[in-house]
Amino acid sequence: MRRLALWAGRIGVAGLVLATPMTLAAEPYSWPIPAWMPAPPVPDDNRMSTGKVELGRHLFYDARLSADGTVACVSCHVQERAFTDGREVPVGINGTLGIRNAPGLANVGYLPLLTWANPHMSSLEFQALIPLFGDNPDEMGNNGQEAAMFARLAADPYYQTAFSAAFPDHATPDLFTVTRALAAFQRSLISVDSAYDRFKRWGEKDALSEAAKRGEQLFFDHRFECYHCHSGIHFSDNLQTSRSAFAEKGFHNTGLYNIDGAGAYPANNTGLMELTGDPADMGKFRTPSLRNVALTAPYFHDGSAETLTEVLEHYRAGGRSLADGPHAGNGAQSPLRDGLIVGNSATEAEVADIIAFLESLTDPGFITNPAYGDPWPADHPAVVKRVLP
Amino acid sequence: MKYIAFAAAMAASPALADQAVSINFAGEIAGKPFSCAETFEGIGAKATAVRGIDYRVFVSGAALIRADGTAQPIALEQDGKWQLDDLALLDFEDGSGGCSTGTAETNTALRGTVPEGEYVGLAFNLAVPFDKNHGDPTLAAAPLNTTAMFWNWQGGYRFVRIDMVPVDKAADGPKGWFLHLGSTMCPAASKTEAPTAECKNPNHLPVSFAAFDPATNAVVIDPAAVVAEADMTVNAAETSPGCMSFPGDADCTTVMSKLGVPYGDIPAGAQQLVSKR
Repeated sequence: MRRLALWAGRIGVAGLVLATPMTLAAEPYSWPIPAWMPAPPVPDDNRMSTGKVELGRHLFYDARLSADGTVACVSCHVQERAFTDGREVPVGINGTLGIRNAPGLANVGYLPLLTWANPHMSSLEFQALIPLFGDNPDEMGNNGQEAAMFARLAADPYYQTAFSAAFPDHATPDLFTVTRALAAFQRSLISVDSAYDRFKRWGEKDALSEAAKRGEQLFFDHRFECYHCHSGIHFSDNLQTSRSAFAEKGFHNTGLYNIDGAGAYPANNTGLMELTGDPADMGKFRTPSLRNVALTAPYFHDGSAETLTEVLEHYRAGGRSLADGPHAGNGAQSPLRDGLIVGNSATEAEVADIIAFLESLTDPGFITNPAYGDPWPADHPAVVKRVLP
Repeated sequence: MKYIAFAAAMAASPALADQAVSINFAGEIAGKPFSCAETFEGIGAKATAVRGIDYRVFVSGAALIRADGTAQPIALEQDGKWQLDDLALLDFEDGSGGCSTGTAETNTALRGTVPEGEYVGLAFNLAVPFDKNHGDPTLAAAPLNTTAMFWNWQGGYRFVRIDMVPVDKAADGPKGWFLHLGSTMCPAASKTEAPTAECKNPNHLPVSFAAFDPATNAVVIDPAAVVAEADMTVNAAETSPGCMSFPGDADCTTVMSKLGVPYGDIPAGAQQLVSKR
């Protein structure tokens, strides 16, 4: 019962969707989190408010944020897939293929660093600039065309009240307000109500299948070492909460590639090394969260594993061996592979149990919560040309 | 009455009678200060060159020792970051270079106060005490919410985390040799539940120096002697890479006794991880 009472609060937040932007401005923001969960950290210049989160949600689903009105954030981050897109790499404006797999956005406010391998991408506000204005690859195609984009938004009657409601002192669509509203909405994307949470946090002993319970014990066993990197409330060693003394980050080379016998990854995807220039950082990518992982296939930074079984086979072998093609090589023999990846002798039954545990991290409420859904009517100019995956 | 009033005044302003104390620690490998950029030569049974990618330890129960042998606990400054009650996290890595799971901030000293007096020695424990070791890390205050030091609720925290990676790695060999000290065989119903009683192997590492002057001495941590008989280039099949304290790991048999703890049938030896200078 206490769980139901607590989560009723979230429905209350969702109910505010129907309110007008002006009334929302006065609403203090209430995190949709249970008492055991610390809130995400929030930058001083972007305090949360219900009005700002609602504005950010409208922007997130608005394809007028792209140069030709076809690409919105949702074009690569779909709620039903825990805000991923089901593709190996995303597709941006003019059919431009992305370089790395679109990451899920559940609990993204707890990540001290965003994207797969950028040690400088330290805020959601900053990160929003990349899909909006990046040109390698083009995602939303606004490079050099921000004035036109802001003019499109300013002409919409909803935004004419919503920006002033969210930013009383700064009531126009511009780089500051658009990036901050998008960040505020993303910080509101909280997923802590999976079957595993109910089992572990709320004492619902029958919330997990016997297979998932066995899988949990294997996941947290040193034989498999999963939890060394997939640790904590986000199942990632990248974590920062409002109670953290400092940001924790973790980048690892998992032995996916070993093209030259010296650990090389494909030249367009070298991981942390691309930005640090340090050869030792070849192939290091940020540990992804495992929440809702059953919904976020394909896997790895380049979407090169289609199923969780394939992922676990990779870790069983201690690296991936590619027999032929331009990326051929045995990742298990990479000198750059992380030392915590040692390979294991998991049986088929054990692999099935671990997958059952991973499936228990799916949060059905997260992918159906209307507070996270598309606010626009189907015939609205925000969405008429919008392409979805 | 006068006496009571005086005592109350003393209790209300203990700072008058306190002196600040700072205990400096040095994290080293084979006598060289730890750095994420450094190569350390001649480590282990095969004299392997290694790089260090993590170096953090928990210290608890630190006390200064009087000439009569009595211990005066150091009241650690509660900084909301590194020090909590009588526990502190020491962190010698700065997140640079190969330390890609680290933090930019470092912490190499205990900071606190003791009542004014004459002290001659120092004692502390390289461990997280049992009553703090198995709580919910998502609810814990810093530094116990540091995921990098966490195992699971049953096992608690790593008291010592010194991660070394051989410079030259065999293609089919391990890619790292990690020294993790923590409690094992803790009686819990599950790996994600707190144990109901103290672990069979608490693996605490108590340290004391009969003579220690905080103004001139430093505590030196160095794993080189501890791993002197271990081969940094091999890992026993189906075990954790390096020695992570778990029973039945051949990589631990020469190591744990040198941390001053018993391991299976092997009795504890003198600890060789911590010294002073």
